[in-house]
Amino acid sequence: MFRRFDRAGGLFIGLLAVSFLLATFDVRSDGQGVGSVLREGTQALFAPLQRLTTSVSRPVVGFIDGIAEVASLRDENDRLVNRVQDLEALVRDAEALQRRLEELEKINDLEPPGELAAITARIVSNGSSDFDHVRFIDRGSDNGVVMGHPVIDDNGLVGRVDAVGDNWARVRLITDPRLGVGVRDLATNETGWVSGQGDGPLKLEMFLAGEAVGVGDLIVTDGSRFPPDIAVGVVLEAAESQAGFALTTEVEPFIETARLDFVKVLVGWSPLDTAAGTDEASAFGRSALSRAGP
Amino acid sequence: MRQVALPLSLTLVVLAALAQTTVFGEGSIQPLGASPAIVTLVVIAVVRHLDPEPALLVAFTAGLLMDLLGGSPLGLWALALTTVGYLTVRLRHHADRGLLLVAVGIFAFTFLGNALFSIAGTLFGQRTLTDPDVIDLMVLPALYTMILGAAVLPGTAKLLLRNREAAWKP
Repeated sequence: MFRRFDRAGGLFIGLLAVSFLLATFDVRSDGQGVGSVLREGTQALFAPLQRLTTSVSRPVVGFIDGIAEVASLRDENDRLVNRVQDLEALVRDAEALQRRLEELEKINDLEPPGELAAITARIVSNGSSDFDHVRFIDRGSDNGVVMGHPVIDDNGLVGRVDAVGDNWARVRLITDPRLGVGVRDLATNETGWVSGQGDGPLKLEMFLAGEAVGVGDLIVTDGSRFPPDIAVGVVLEAAESQAGFALTTEVEPFIETARLDFVKVLVGWSPLDTAAGTDEASAFGRSALSRAGP
Repeated sequence: MRQVALPLSLTLVVLAALAQTTVFGEGSIQPLGASPAIVTLVVIAVVRHLDPEPALLVAFTAGLLMDLLGGSPLGLWALALTTVGYLTVRLRHHADRGLLLVAVGIFAFTFLGNALFSIAGTLFGQRTLTDPDVIDLMVLPALYTMILGAAVLPGTAKLLLRNREAAWKP
Protein backbone atom coordinates (compact mmCIF):
# COMPACT_ATOMS: atom_id res chain seq x y z
CA MET A 1 0.00 0.00 0.00
CA PHE A 2 2.78 2.38 0.95
CA ARG A 3 4.58 1.72 -2.33
CA ARG A 4 1.36 2.35 -4.25
CA PHE A 5 0.94 5.70 -2.57
CA ASP A 6 4.55 6.45 -3.35
CA ARG A 7 3.83 5.78 -7.01
CA ALA A 8 0.68 7.85 -6.76
CA GLY A 9 2.68 10.68 -5.18
CA GLY A 10 5.18 10.55 -8.03
CA LEU A 11 2.40 10.55 -10.59
CA PHE A 12 0.74 13.46 -8.79
CA ILE A 13 3.91 15.54 -8.96
CA GLY A 14 4.33 14.57 -12.61
CA LEU A 15 0.78 15.60 -13.49
CA LEU A 16 1.21 18.90 -11.68
CA ALA A 17 4.36 19.54 -13.70
CA VAL A 18 2.51 18.68 -16.92
CA SER A 19 -0.30 21.07 -15.93
CA PHE A 20 2.16 23.90 -15.31
CA LEU A 21 3.90 23.23 -18.61
CA LEU A 22 0.59 23.15 -20.49
CA ALA A 23 -0.49 26.42 -18.92
CA THR A 24 2.85 28.06 -19.67
CA PHE A 25 2.86 26.95 -23.31
CA ASP A 26 -0.79 27.90 -23.78
CA VAL A 27 -0.32 31.37 -22.32
CA ARG A 28 2.89 31.96 -24.26
CA SER A 29 1.33 30.81 -27.53
CA ASP A 30 -1.70 33.00 -26.81
CA GLY A 31 -4.15 30.13 -27.20
CA GLN A 32 -2.71 29.06 -30.56
CA GLY A 33 -0.61 26.01 -31.41
CA VAL A 34 -1.30 22.68 -29.77
CA GLY A 35 -3.84 24.21 -27.39
CA SER A 36 -5.86 25.50 -30.29
CA VAL A 37 -5.81 22.12 -32.04
CA LEU A 38 -6.90 20.34 -28.85
CA ARG A 39 -9.67 22.88 -28.23
CA GLU A 40 -10.91 22.59 -31.78
CA GLY A 41 -11.01 18.80 -31.58
CA THR A 42 -12.79 18.81 -28.23
CA GLN A 43 -15.31 21.40 -29.36
CA ALA A 44 -15.96 19.48 -32.57
CA LEU A 45 -16.78 16.43 -30.45
CA PHE A 46 -18.77 18.27 -27.81
CA ALA A 47 -20.63 20.89 -29.86
CA PRO A 48 -23.31 18.50 -31.19
CA LEU A 49 -23.80 17.02 -27.71
CA GLN A 50 -23.97 20.49 -26.18
CA ARG A 51 -26.55 21.61 -28.74
CA LEU A 52 -28.64 18.56 -27.99
CA THR A 53 -28.35 19.00 -24.23
CA THR A 54 -29.11 22.71 -24.48
CA SER A 55 -32.18 22.15 -26.63
CA VAL A 56 -33.44 19.55 -24.15
CA SER A 57 -32.58 21.49 -21.00
CA ARG A 58 -33.59 24.97 -22.20
CA PRO A 59 -37.30 24.53 -21.42
CA VAL A 60 -36.42 23.21 -17.95
CA VAL A 61 -34.00 26.06 -17.30
CA GLY A 62 -36.60 28.51 -18.64
CA PHE A 63 -39.21 27.00 -16.36
CA ILE A 64 -36.95 27.40 -13.32
CA ASP A 65 -36.10 30.94 -14.44
CA GLY A 66 -39.82 31.60 -14.81
CA ILE A 67 -40.45 30.42 -11.26
CA ALA A 68 -37.72 32.76 -9.96
CA GLU A 69 -39.29 35.68 -11.83
CA VAL A 70 -42.73 34.89 -10.52
CA ALA A 71 -41.35 34.72 -7.00
CA SER A 72 -39.83 38.17 -7.25
CA LEU A 73 -42.92 39.68 -8.83
CA ARG A 74 -45.11 38.22 -6.13
CA ASP A 75 -43.60 40.56 -3.55
CA GLU A 76 -44.49 43.54 -5.68
CA ASN A 77 -47.92 42.38 -6.67
CA ASP A 78 -49.45 40.84 -3.57
CA ARG A 79 -52.87 42.17 -4.44
CA LEU A 80 -52.88 40.31 -7.76
CA VAL A 81 -51.35 37.04 -6.74
CA ASN A 82 -54.54 35.13 -6.07
CA ARG A 83 -56.04 36.11 -9.38
CA VAL A 84 -53.08 35.23 -11.55
CA GLN A 85 -51.84 32.16 -9.73
CA ASP A 86 -53.96 29.72 -11.70
CA LEU A 87 -53.11 31.36 -14.99
CA GLU A 88 -49.39 31.57 -14.44
CA ALA A 89 -48.77 27.88 -14.76
CA LEU A 90 -50.62 27.85 -18.09
CA VAL A 91 -48.96 30.88 -19.59
CA ARG A 92 -45.44 30.34 -18.29
CA ASP A 93 -44.37 28.03 -21.08
CA ALA A 94 -46.11 30.17 -23.67
CA GLU A 95 -44.36 33.28 -22.32
CA ALA A 96 -41.00 31.60 -22.55
CA LEU A 97 -41.65 30.69 -26.17
CA GLN A 98 -42.95 34.17 -26.93
CA ARG A 99 -39.91 35.77 -25.33
CA ARG A 100 -37.60 33.63 -27.41
CA LEU A 101 -39.53 34.45 -30.58
CA GLU A 102 -39.43 38.18 -29.83
CA GLU A 103 -35.74 38.00 -29.13
CA LEU A 104 -35.13 36.24 -32.40
CA GLU A 105 -37.26 38.77 -34.27
CA LYS A 106 -35.48 41.65 -32.59
CA ILE A 107 -32.07 40.28 -33.36
CA ASN A 108 -33.00 39.70 -36.98
CA ASP A 109 -34.39 43.23 -37.32
CA LEU A 110 -31.33 44.71 -35.69
CA GLU A 111 -29.39 46.97 -38.02
CA PRO A 112 -25.69 46.32 -37.62
CA PRO A 113 -23.67 49.49 -37.05
CA GLY A 114 -22.48 51.05 -40.28
CA GLU A 115 -24.49 48.44 -42.17
CA LEU A 116 -21.85 45.84 -41.55
CA ALA A 117 -22.60 42.32 -42.70
CA ALA A 118 -23.74 40.20 -39.78
CA ILE A 119 -24.86 36.67 -39.12
CA THR A 120 -27.18 35.47 -36.39
CA ALA A 121 -25.85 32.87 -34.00
CA ARG A 122 -27.19 31.10 -30.98
CA ILE A 123 -25.46 30.50 -27.67
CA VAL A 124 -24.99 26.76 -27.22
CA SER A 125 -22.92 26.57 -24.06
CA ASN A 126 -21.25 28.49 -21.25
CA GLY A 127 -17.73 28.29 -19.98
CA SER A 128 -16.79 25.36 -17.79
CA SER A 129 -16.98 27.26 -14.49
CA ASP A 130 -18.31 30.41 -12.86
CA PHE A 131 -14.89 31.98 -13.38
CA ASP A 132 -15.35 31.86 -17.15
CA HIS A 133 -16.98 34.82 -18.88
CA VAL A 134 -17.29 33.23 -22.28
CA ARG A 135 -20.04 31.79 -24.46
CA PHE A 136 -19.83 29.30 -27.29
CA ILE A 137 -21.95 30.00 -30.38
CA ASP A 138 -23.10 27.71 -33.17
CA ARG A 139 -21.37 29.58 -35.99
CA GLY A 140 -17.72 29.33 -36.95
CA SER A 141 -15.23 29.71 -39.76
CA ASP A 142 -17.58 27.90 -42.14
CA ASN A 143 -19.89 30.90 -41.73
CA GLY A 144 -17.16 33.50 -42.12
CA VAL A 145 -16.44 34.07 -38.43
CA VAL A 146 -12.83 34.86 -37.59
CA MET A 147 -11.03 35.78 -34.39
CA GLY A 148 -11.65 39.37 -33.37
CA HIS A 149 -15.15 39.71 -34.82
CA PRO A 150 -17.42 41.81 -32.59
CA VAL A 151 -20.59 40.23 -31.24
CA ILE A 152 -23.71 42.25 -30.42
CA ASP A 153 -27.30 41.66 -29.43
CA ASP A 154 -30.30 43.97 -29.37
CA ASN A 155 -29.02 45.59 -26.15
CA GLY A 156 -25.54 46.41 -27.35
CA LEU A 157 -22.02 45.05 -27.35
CA VAL A 158 -21.73 41.46 -26.12
CA GLY A 159 -18.04 40.74 -26.67
CA ARG A 160 -15.62 39.53 -29.27
CA VAL A 161 -14.73 36.21 -30.84
CA ASP A 162 -11.48 34.89 -29.40
CA ALA A 163 -11.44 31.30 -30.66
CA VAL A 164 -12.97 29.78 -33.78
CA GLY A 165 -13.62 26.30 -35.09
CA ASP A 166 -15.40 25.13 -38.23
CA ASN A 167 -18.89 25.38 -36.77
CA TRP A 168 -18.36 27.01 -33.37
CA ALA A 169 -16.76 30.08 -31.93
CA ARG A 170 -15.93 31.28 -28.44
CA VAL A 171 -17.11 34.76 -27.50
CA ARG A 172 -15.32 36.51 -24.66
CA LEU A 173 -17.89 38.73 -22.96
CA ILE A 174 -17.26 42.38 -22.14
CA THR A 175 -17.63 41.41 -18.47
CA ASP A 176 -14.40 39.37 -18.69
CA PRO A 177 -11.48 41.16 -17.00
CA ARG A 178 -9.24 40.09 -19.90
CA LEU A 179 -11.26 41.95 -22.50
CA GLY A 180 -10.94 45.70 -22.91
CA VAL A 181 -13.06 47.93 -25.10
CA GLY A 182 -12.14 51.38 -26.38
CA VAL A 183 -15.14 53.59 -25.66
CA ARG A 184 -16.45 57.14 -25.97
CA ASP A 185 -18.67 59.06 -23.58
CA LEU A 186 -21.41 60.53 -25.75
CA ALA A 187 -21.95 63.41 -23.29
CA THR A 188 -18.35 64.62 -23.27
CA ASN A 189 -17.16 62.98 -26.49
CA GLU A 190 -14.01 61.87 -24.67
CA THR A 191 -12.54 58.43 -25.07
CA GLY A 192 -11.51 55.86 -22.53
CA TRP A 193 -11.29 52.19 -21.84
CA VAL A 194 -13.81 49.79 -20.38
CA SER A 195 -12.84 46.43 -18.92
CA GLY A 196 -14.84 43.71 -17.21
CA GLN A 197 -14.74 42.89 -13.52
CA GLY A 198 -16.48 39.55 -13.69
CA ASP A 199 -20.09 39.82 -12.65
CA GLY A 200 -21.41 43.31 -12.11
CA PRO A 201 -20.48 46.68 -13.54
CA LEU A 202 -17.63 47.37 -15.93
CA LYS A 203 -14.66 49.52 -15.02
CA LEU A 204 -14.27 52.73 -17.04
CA GLU A 205 -10.88 54.39 -17.17
CA MET A 206 -10.18 57.65 -18.98
CA PHE A 207 -6.51 58.48 -18.98
CA LEU A 208 -6.73 61.85 -20.68
CA ALA A 209 -10.15 63.07 -19.56
CA GLY A 210 -10.59 66.82 -19.51
CA GLU A 211 -14.21 66.81 -18.40
CA ALA A 212 -16.09 64.96 -15.69
CA VAL A 213 -18.44 62.10 -16.52
CA GLY A 214 -21.97 62.14 -15.11
CA VAL A 215 -24.43 59.52 -13.96
CA GLY A 216 -26.36 58.16 -16.93
CA ASP A 217 -23.82 59.18 -19.57
CA LEU A 218 -24.12 56.82 -22.51
CA ILE A 219 -20.95 54.91 -23.27
CA VAL A 220 -20.43 53.60 -26.81
CA THR A 221 -17.55 51.99 -28.67
CA ASP A 222 -15.03 54.43 -30.10
CA GLY A 223 -14.29 52.56 -33.32
CA SER A 224 -10.75 51.49 -32.47
CA ARG A 225 -11.03 47.75 -32.07
CA PHE A 226 -14.80 47.52 -32.38
CA PRO A 227 -17.05 49.26 -34.88
CA PRO A 228 -17.97 52.75 -33.66
CA ASP A 229 -21.13 53.71 -31.76
CA ILE A 230 -22.20 50.31 -30.44
CA ALA A 231 -23.93 50.86 -27.09
CA VAL A 232 -21.91 49.48 -24.17
CA GLY A 233 -23.61 50.84 -21.05
CA VAL A 234 -24.31 53.86 -18.85
CA VAL A 235 -22.14 55.51 -16.24
CA LEU A 236 -23.16 54.53 -12.70
CA GLU A 237 -21.22 57.12 -10.71
CA ALA A 238 -20.10 60.62 -11.61
CA ALA A 239 -16.34 61.08 -11.60
CA GLU A 240 -13.67 63.52 -12.65
CA SER A 241 -10.00 63.05 -13.18
CA GLN A 242 -7.59 64.16 -10.50
CA ALA A 243 -4.28 65.66 -11.49
CA GLY A 244 -1.92 62.89 -12.47
CA PHE A 245 -4.53 60.16 -12.14
CA ALA A 246 -6.89 58.56 -14.61
CA LEU A 247 -10.61 59.12 -14.28
CA THR A 248 -12.06 55.87 -12.99
CA THR A 249 -15.70 54.95 -12.52
CA GLU A 250 -18.16 52.14 -13.18
CA VAL A 251 -20.45 51.46 -16.11
CA GLU A 252 -23.58 49.34 -16.03
CA PRO A 253 -23.47 47.19 -19.18
CA PHE A 254 -26.59 47.07 -21.35
CA ILE A 255 -26.27 43.37 -22.03
CA GLU A 256 -27.80 40.90 -19.62
CA THR A 257 -25.26 38.12 -19.63
CA ALA A 258 -27.62 35.71 -17.91
CA ARG A 259 -30.19 36.14 -20.69
CA LEU A 260 -28.02 35.90 -23.77
CA ASP A 261 -29.54 33.60 -26.34
CA PHE A 262 -29.37 34.90 -29.91
CA VAL A 263 -26.54 37.20 -30.93
CA LYS A 264 -25.16 38.75 -34.08
CA VAL A 265 -21.57 38.38 -35.23
CA LEU A 266 -20.39 41.36 -37.25
CA VAL A 267 -18.58 39.39 -39.93
CA GLY A 268 -18.30 42.52 -42.07
CA TRP A 269 -15.89 44.11 -39.59
CA SER A 270 -12.23 43.44 -40.31
CA PRO A 271 -10.41 43.01 -37.03
CA LEU A 272 -7.11 44.83 -37.35
CA ASP A 273 -5.54 43.02 -34.45
CA THR A 274 -6.79 39.48 -34.20
CA ALA A 275 -4.51 38.68 -31.30
CA ALA A 276 -5.83 41.58 -29.31
CA GLY A 277 -8.28 39.53 -27.30
CA THR A 278 -5.76 38.35 -24.78
CA ASP A 279 -4.98 41.10 -22.37
CA GLU A 280 -5.97 44.33 -23.93
CA ALA A 281 -6.49 46.26 -20.73
CA SER A 282 -2.81 46.16 -19.85
CA ALA A 283 -1.81 46.91 -23.42
CA PHE A 284 -4.13 49.91 -23.53
CA GLY A 285 -2.91 51.15 -20.19
CA ARG A 286 0.64 51.05 -21.42
CA SER A 287 -0.13 52.79 -24.69
CA ALA A 288 -2.28 55.43 -23.01
CA LEU A 289 0.40 56.15 -20.46
CA SER A 290 3.02 56.37 -23.13
CA ARG A 291 0.82 58.82 -25.04
CA ALA A 292 0.36 60.84 -21.90
CA GLY A 293 4.09 60.91 -21.28
CA PRO A 294 6.44 63.74 -22.24
CA MET B 1 -11.34 -2.02 -8.77
CA ARG B 2 -13.78 -3.37 -11.32
CA GLN B 3 -12.62 -3.57 -14.93
CA VAL B 4 -15.38 -1.26 -16.07
CA ALA B 5 -14.81 1.30 -13.32
CA LEU B 6 -12.31 3.36 -15.31
CA PRO B 7 -14.35 3.73 -18.54
CA LEU B 8 -17.46 4.30 -16.43
CA SER B 9 -15.67 7.02 -14.49
CA LEU B 10 -14.52 8.74 -17.68
CA THR B 11 -18.06 8.57 -19.07
CA LEU B 12 -19.38 10.19 -15.91
CA VAL B 13 -16.77 12.93 -16.19
CA VAL B 14 -17.80 13.63 -19.80
CA LEU B 15 -21.48 13.77 -18.80
CA ALA B 16 -20.63 16.08 -15.92
CA ALA B 17 -18.69 18.40 -18.23
CA LEU B 18 -21.65 18.42 -20.60
CA ALA B 19 -24.01 19.34 -17.77
CA GLN B 20 -21.62 21.96 -16.41
CA THR B 21 -21.36 23.78 -19.75
CA THR B 22 -25.03 23.64 -20.70
CA VAL B 23 -27.39 23.21 -17.74
CA PHE B 24 -25.44 25.08 -15.07
CA GLY B 25 -23.62 28.39 -15.18
CA GLU B 26 -24.35 31.94 -16.26
CA GLY B 27 -27.39 32.05 -18.49
CA SER B 28 -28.61 28.72 -17.17
CA ILE B 29 -29.16 27.48 -13.63
CA GLN B 30 -27.06 29.74 -11.42
CA PRO B 31 -28.76 30.57 -8.11
CA LEU B 32 -27.26 33.66 -6.43
CA GLY B 33 -24.75 33.98 -9.23
CA ALA B 34 -23.00 30.68 -8.68
CA SER B 35 -23.47 27.11 -9.81
CA PRO B 36 -22.41 23.74 -8.41
CA ALA B 37 -19.06 22.38 -9.50
CA ILE B 38 -20.44 19.23 -11.10
CA VAL B 39 -17.17 18.05 -12.60
CA THR B 40 -15.33 18.48 -9.29
CA LEU B 41 -18.08 16.55 -7.54
CA VAL B 42 -17.91 13.69 -10.03
CA VAL B 43 -14.12 13.60 -9.68
CA ILE B 44 -14.44 13.30 -5.90
CA ALA B 45 -17.16 10.68 -6.29
CA VAL B 46 -15.35 8.40 -8.74
CA VAL B 47 -11.85 8.81 -7.36
CA ARG B 48 -13.03 7.28 -4.08
CA HIS B 49 -13.55 3.96 -5.84
CA LEU B 50 -10.54 3.77 -8.13
CA ASP B 51 -6.96 2.69 -7.57
CA PRO B 52 -4.67 5.65 -6.89
CA GLU B 53 -3.00 5.91 -10.30
CA PRO B 54 -6.13 5.61 -12.45
CA ALA B 55 -7.85 7.96 -10.00
CA LEU B 56 -5.23 10.65 -10.59
CA LEU B 57 -5.43 10.19 -14.36
CA VAL B 58 -9.22 10.54 -14.27
CA ALA B 59 -8.93 13.73 -12.19
CA PHE B 60 -6.31 15.15 -14.56
CA THR B 61 -8.42 14.26 -17.61
CA ALA B 62 -11.47 15.89 -16.04
CA GLY B 63 -9.49 19.06 -15.41
CA LEU B 64 -8.09 19.09 -18.93
CA LEU B 65 -11.61 18.71 -20.30
CA MET B 66 -12.73 21.70 -18.20
CA ASP B 67 -9.85 23.71 -19.64
CA LEU B 68 -10.66 22.68 -23.19
CA LEU B 69 -14.35 23.51 -22.84
CA GLY B 70 -13.81 26.79 -21.00
CA GLY B 71 -12.04 30.05 -21.56
CA SER B 72 -9.00 29.51 -19.38
CA PRO B 73 -5.50 28.41 -20.47
CA LEU B 74 -4.91 24.68 -20.64
CA GLY B 75 -3.66 23.10 -17.45
CA LEU B 76 -5.26 25.34 -14.80
CA TRP B 77 -8.28 23.16 -14.05
CA ALA B 78 -6.11 20.09 -14.65
CA LEU B 79 -3.83 21.29 -11.87
CA ALA B 80 -6.72 22.07 -9.52
CA LEU B 81 -8.62 18.82 -10.08
CA THR B 82 -5.49 16.64 -9.97
CA THR B 83 -4.82 18.11 -6.53
CA VAL B 84 -8.41 17.49 -5.48
CA GLY B 85 -8.15 13.92 -6.79
CA TYR B 86 -4.90 13.28 -4.96
CA LEU B 87 -6.24 14.59 -1.65
CA THR B 88 -9.39 12.51 -2.08
CA VAL B 89 -7.28 9.39 -2.66
CA ARG B 90 -5.15 10.19 0.37
CA LEU B 91 -8.04 10.91 2.72
CA ARG B 92 -10.79 8.64 1.43
CA HIS B 93 -10.42 6.11 4.25
CA HIS B 94 -11.83 8.78 6.60
CA ALA B 95 -15.17 8.54 4.78
CA ASP B 96 -15.95 5.64 7.13
CA ARG B 97 -16.31 8.09 10.00
CA GLY B 98 -19.65 9.39 8.86
CA LEU B 99 -21.68 11.46 6.47
CA LEU B 100 -20.81 14.75 8.14
CA LEU B 101 -17.13 14.26 7.42
CA VAL B 102 -17.94 13.32 3.80
CA ALA B 103 -20.02 16.50 3.43
CA VAL B 104 -17.28 18.65 4.95
CA GLY B 105 -14.78 16.94 2.68
CA ILE B 106 -16.79 17.73 -0.45
CA PHE B 107 -17.16 21.35 0.63
CA ALA B 108 -13.48 21.69 1.46
CA PHE B 109 -12.22 19.98 -1.71
CA THR B 110 -14.53 21.98 -3.98
CA PHE B 111 -13.47 25.20 -2.28
CA LEU B 112 -9.84 24.16 -2.57
CA GLY B 113 -10.25 23.33 -6.27
CA ASN B 114 -11.79 26.73 -7.00
CA ALA B 115 -9.18 28.51 -4.87
CA LEU B 116 -6.31 26.71 -6.60
CA PHE B 117 -7.79 27.56 -9.99
CA SER B 118 -8.11 31.22 -9.00
CA ILE B 119 -4.59 31.46 -7.67
CA ALA B 120 -3.05 29.57 -10.59
CA GLY B 121 -5.17 31.65 -12.98
CA THR B 122 -3.89 34.86 -11.45
CA LEU B 123 -0.31 33.61 -11.67
CA PHE B 124 -0.90 33.00 -15.38
CA GLY B 125 -2.43 36.44 -15.97
CA GLN B 126 -6.12 35.54 -15.88
CA ARG B 127 -7.09 38.23 -13.35
CA THR B 128 -9.33 35.68 -11.65
CA LEU B 129 -8.76 37.17 -8.23
CA THR B 130 -9.73 40.64 -9.42
CA ASP B 131 -13.38 39.54 -9.63
CA PRO B 132 -15.15 41.36 -6.75
CA ASP B 133 -17.28 38.25 -6.16
CA VAL B 134 -14.36 35.86 -6.07
CA ILE B 135 -15.11 34.68 -2.52
CA ASP B 136 -18.74 33.99 -3.45
CA LEU B 137 -17.51 32.11 -6.51
CA MET B 138 -15.54 29.81 -4.21
CA VAL B 139 -17.94 29.39 -1.29
CA LEU B 140 -21.34 29.12 -3.01
CA PRO B 141 -20.32 26.45 -5.54
CA ALA B 142 -18.77 24.47 -2.67
CA LEU B 143 -22.04 24.71 -0.77
CA TYR B 144 -24.17 23.67 -3.76
CA THR B 145 -21.75 20.87 -4.57
CA MET B 146 -21.92 19.58 -0.99
CA ILE B 147 -25.72 19.47 -1.22
CA LEU B 148 -25.68 17.72 -4.59
CA GLY B 149 -23.14 15.28 -3.21
CA ALA B 150 -25.89 13.65 -1.18
CA ALA B 151 -27.35 12.36 -4.44
CA VAL B 152 -24.27 11.96 -6.60
CA LEU B 153 -21.96 10.07 -4.22
CA PRO B 154 -24.28 7.17 -3.40
CA GLY B 155 -25.35 6.96 -7.06
CA THR B 156 -21.75 6.85 -8.27
CA ALA B 157 -20.79 4.31 -5.64
CA LYS B 158 -23.71 2.13 -6.65
CA LEU B 159 -22.73 2.39 -10.29
CA LEU B 160 -19.03 1.72 -9.76
CA LEU B 161 -19.31 -0.90 -7.03
CA ARG B 162 -22.64 -2.38 -8.07
CA ASN B 163 -23.32 -2.70 -4.37
CA ARG B 164 -25.67 -0.37 -2.55
CA GLU B 165 -24.35 -1.34 0.90
CA ALA B 166 -20.93 -0.06 -0.01
CA ALA B 167 -22.25 3.27 -1.17
CA TRP B 168 -20.64 5.27 1.62
CA LYS B 169 -17.55 3.17 2.02
CA PRO B 170 -14.21 3.81 0.38
